[in-house]
Amino acid sequence: MTDMANNPTKPAVASPSVMLTFGPWIVSAVLLLILPLVFQQNSAITIMNQMWITVIFALAYNMLLGQGGMLSFGHAVYMGVGGFACMHIMNWDIFGSIPLPILPIFGGLFGMGLAMIVGAFSTRKAGTVFAMISLGVGELIAACSVIIVAFFGGEEGISGDRTYGLPFFGVEFLKQIEVYYLISLWLLISAGLMFLYSRTPIGRMANAVRDNPERAEFLGYSARWVRYYSFVASGFFCGIAGALFAINYEIVTEENLNTASSGVILLVTFLGGVGFFFGPIIGAIAFTLLQTVLSLQTELWAIYAGVLFVATVMYFPGGLAGVLMMHVPILRLGNGKMLIMPYIKALIPAAIGILGVCCLIEMTFHIRHSSTGDHEMTLFWTTFDSHSLIPWFVVIAVTTAAFTVMRRNLPELVATWHDANDAKGA
Amino acid sequence: MNAMTDMNAPALHIEGLKKSFGKAEIIRGIDLSIGKAERHAIIGPNGAGKSTLFNLITARFAPTSGKVSLHGQNLAGLAPYQINRLGLSRSFQITNIFPKMSVFENVRCALLWSQGYKYSFWNLVGRSRDLTEGAEAILEEINLTARRDLPAGVLSYAEQRALEIGITIAGGADVIMLDEPTAGMSNTETDYITDLIMRVTEGKTLIMVEHDMGVVFGLADQISVLVYGEIIATGKPEEVRGNAKVQEAYLGAALEEEH
Repeated sequence: MTDMANNPTKPAVASPSVMLTFGPWIVSAVLLLILPLVFQQNSAITIMNQMWITVIFALAYNMLLGQGGMLSFGHAVYMGVGGFACMHIMNWDIFGSIPLPILPIFGGLFGMGLAMIVGAFSTRKAGTVFAMISLGVGELIAACSVIIVAFFGGEEGISGDRTYGLPFFGVEFLKQIEVYYLISLWLLISAGLMFLYSRTPIGRMANAVRDNPERAEFLGYSARWVRYYSFVASGFFCGIAGALFAINYEIVTEENLNTASSGVILLVTFLGGVGFFFGPIIGAIAFTLLQTVLSLQTELWAIYAGVLFVATVMYFPGGLAGVLMMHVPILRLGNGKMLIMPYIKALIPAAIGILGVCCLIEMTFHIRHSSTGDHEMTLFWTTFDSHSLIPWFVVIAVTTAAFTVMRRNLPELVATWHDANDAKGA
Repeated sequence: MNAMTDMNAPALHIEGLKKSFGKAEIIRGIDLSIGKAERHAIIGPNGAGKSTLFNLITARFAPTSGKVSLHGQNLAGLAPYQINRLGLSRSFQITNIFPKMSVFENVRCALLWSQGYKYSFWNLVGRSRDLTEGAEAILEEINLTARRDLPAGVLSYAEQRALEIGITIAGGADVIMLDEPTAGMSNTETDYITDLIMRVTEGKTLIMVEHDMGVVFGLADQISVLVYGEIIATGKPEEVRGNAKVQEAYLGAALEEEH
């Protein structure tokens, strides 16, 4: 930092800010390009597709929750309706003259249209009133999905074939990897637009209304209209996420817009952190990994996701992004190194202890739910008899020991943390 | 300025204003005219209805009866944001800022509407030189340039009050209403805020509720004394000071307290 300050030439001053502005976007674009070259398996590409769709949805959701202070319990409907609309377009004859890559725009417009209607009455008030209306509308539309079969397709949903679209420069989107790049492109566009939105007058006022709606009113802005515009914009990007979902899976069902899906996106966004623009991105990546990779390992993945969520709400209300950003002042002071050893000493035993608890949960689950006579289970590449006492003894001993060590080392971490925040360079 | 406004009308005109909360009549018929570029203080004992009067003028509460007009335009039925757009801006008795946003951001948000940005999503606020320079000028004026990037919530009490005054004047409103701007401040802080108010309301209409008689007599051209929901006297500071009714009701006690 001091080097830059001492250098009086203009380009040297301008370049860091240009790097700060465009750096993260360029890095993201490059990552999106090369990730499929690193993870080439079909399953990995499927996971990444799911991940980027969730990222768009979570970012759109955070336009309300984090930026606008509106807690929605029914936001999956805007994604779902965007998805259904695109599915119907795919099944029309017109689809043959529409290139697939522009389909998400239609999804976005349908999501936005629904948001314009619902927002007209739901954004009058923020807080509990808004949350309750969003829950009610979410339930209502989810219930409609089994009633209005022509649009929602009843229980089996609507399916279609993305390859009927007009070939786009010869690409017919037969292959998963082609869809990957389509989703990645839309991820970059949507994230970029949502970021820019937060820098516009209306985006800034969304923060102001979140913080203090009354003061905003005395500055000439109607809190209600500010909320409405955020809501509509959020609906648009939810619709884009829905369209990409329809393109990726070629089927959309009631599950995509029910309250459970709305709950998941709240969880994802909060886990990542509502206070920072990039928070939902981290949340979506972490949650999709839990949902896909962990669910292959254990049936109980939802329990772990739930515990992680509760722990985040209780101990790290800023989410994963908040935890990361807590380190920025320390790194600025140049005290990052001080923390490495205390972190290792506290976090490794903590991780072992947590894994130990997970083992106990898995073993209990195995005893209760495995078929009779099946006593053999495998955890961490070790096969053992869940009904014998020895593994229980070992796991309990290791877990207790790990937590004891963690407890002993924790005060040191806390003390170093305070030092690192105070001291002006170690 | 709005087409419906009358240039010769007083800045603020109040006629027969009443407000009841249930059976309790808090404002019991107020008539008051405040001229352009006048600095008008409203004083009175606790519970006299000063803040309620402010809230009625700015549509935070709806009056039970009576009429308020700004530059000759009737404010009945208008929402706070509409009144603000007509050129009336206020501060609050309890500090009312955007605590999680930076100090600079607080001021910039206060500039947005008056600079014509409205609900636009096609402008980037960081790109506008007018906004940045305007906000910086106001920060300079309220002496908070050094605090520019801090979240407003962490400022000291006096700094938050100064920021609130900055937010209130930022939009360029020509009628400024300040509700107890120096409440809870030390003497030095009070002097600083008084000086600040003096500077930023130059040429504007100021309506102010204030308890500190030093501030009132230092700033105001006109004083109205509000007691139990009624104005018992209005006039120049020396007239009000000499008014027997006022001394009996309020001022004597307050003046004695001060000496």
